[in-house]
Amino acid sequence: MAKILVVDDSSTVRDEVAGFLKKNSLDVATAVDGKDGLSKIKADPGIKLVLCDINMPNMDGLTMAEKVRGELGNSAVHIIMLTTESSPNMKERGKAAGIKGWIVKPFKGDAVLGTIQKLAS
Amino acid sequence: MSETMTSNLSSKVLVLDDSDEHALAIKEFCDENNLIALKVRKNRLMSVLQSNIDLGAILYSDNYGGSTRENAEIAIKIHTFRPELPIIIRREKLATLDDMPEIVQSVFCAAYVISDMGALRKVIDEYIFSLVYPNALVRGISEITETVLASQFKMLSISWSTPYIVRDRVIFGEVFSLIPLESNWCRGYMMLQTEEEPILEALGLFSADDASTNFRSVNSLLGEITNLIWGSFKNRYIGDASATSGNLIQVPLVVNHRHKYISFGTENPQLCFLYTLVDETTGRTVKLYQRFIFNLHWSPDDFKEIQHDTEELVESGELELF
Repeated sequence: MAKILVVDDSSTVRDEVAGFLKKNSLDVATAVDGKDGLSKIKADPGIKLVLCDINMPNMDGLTMAEKVRGELGNSAVHIIMLTTESSPNMKERGKAAGIKGWIVKPFKGDAVLGTIQKLAS
Repeated sequence: MSETMTSNLSSKVLVLDDSDEHALAIKEFCDENNLIALKVRKNRLMSVLQSNIDLGAILYSDNYGGSTRENAEIAIKIHTFRPELPIIIRREKLATLDDMPEIVQSVFCAAYVISDMGALRKVIDEYIFSLVYPNALVRGISEITETVLASQFKMLSISWSTPYIVRDRVIFGEVFSLIPLESNWCRGYMMLQTEEEPILEALGLFSADDASTNFRSVNSLLGEITNLIWGSFKNRYIGDASATSGNLIQVPLVVNHRHKYISFGTENPQLCFLYTLVDETTGRTVKLYQRFIFNLHWSPDDFKEIQHDTEELVESGELELF
C-alpha cells in the first residue's frame, strides 16, 4: 500500500485523519501546511494520495496542488481537498489544478475509506 | 422593523433599584422588552460586575445605596469599573440628568421616570437593541454551530440558550479564538470563548502534570471548531462574493490580559450565543460563548442566504470525485 499524506495546519485534524487511516492499516505521513506538504511530496515518491486542507498559513492547499502539477510535474499523485470550503469557484480552481476529489469537513472516515484505499493502492 | 429581522433577542440587565413600589413595573417592563432582570445584593455588587460577562445594561435608580452621596459614589464606581455598560437611572420626578453634578451626569447614558416607560424603551433600543439581526442569520448560526460541536464532541449532548445582546467586553474563560467575517453585508469577527479545564476533561487529557503541554490540544480544537463554523458560515451566507470593494478599513483590537478585557474599537452591542455541552455520564459541562462583533460594517438589509443548486450539493464528509 502506498503512502497517504495528510496536510492540515490543525493538529486536531491531522491527528483525527491520520489516526483513522493508521487504524485502517494505511501508511500515513503528515504536513503542517502547503509548503511543508510540497516538500514532503517532492522528497517521498512513495506518496500516492494527498488529503489536503485549503486555508492554511504559508501556502494554501490549492496553491500546493497547482505546484505539485506545475513545478514538480507530478501528475501521478492523487490530491483530495479536505476543507470547509465548498464554493463552486474554489472547486473549479481545484479541478483546473488536477484535483481528484473534494470532501467538505468535518471528516467522516467511514464514508470515504473505501475510495481512499482504492486511490492509495 | 422588518419581520425578517430579529425581534426576539434578549439581553441581561442588572437592576439596582431599592424601590419596592416600582419593582413590579420594572419587572413587567423587562418581561415585555426581552430583558432578563438580574438583582444582586449590595455587598456582592462589585464581585458580580467582575464575574458577569454578558450584561447589556444597568438599570439604576436615585434611591439606590442610601444617601445622595453614596448613590453617586456607587454609580461612579460602577462606571469606572465597567465603562462599556450603559447605566440608565430612574429618577423620582423628572427624566433628566441636568440637576446632577457634571461628574455624576457623565456616568449615566439616560434617565427615565416610572410614569413614562416608553422613554425607557427608546433608550433600550438605542443602547442595547441598536443593531437588528436577520432571523435567518440568528437561526442559521445556531444550527451551524450545533452541527459543528456535535461533530467534535460526539459523546456530549449540546444545548443552547436564546441568543442575546451584550455590551460587555470582558472575556470568559482562559482561551478564545477570533476569525474575521468579511462580506458585502458584514465586516467584523466571530469570537469563541471557553475554559481550558472542562475541554481537557472532555478530551480525557486533564492532568495537572501535563497542563503545560495539553493546553495546545485545547487551542487546536478551538481553532478547528472556529474554522468549521467559519467555513459553514461562509458557504451559507457569503459564497464567492468578494468582501467589499474599495479601501478596507481596519481598527486595532486591544486585549488587556490582566483585566480579561477585549475592545474591538466600537461601542456596538454584540450578538452572543451560549452553548452548553454536557457529559451525561459525569454531569460535567463545557461552556462555549460565541460572539459576533460587526465592528467594521453592518448592513442587514443586504443580508442573503446563498441558494445552492440542490443537485450539486454533496453531504459534508462525503467524497465528491471529479
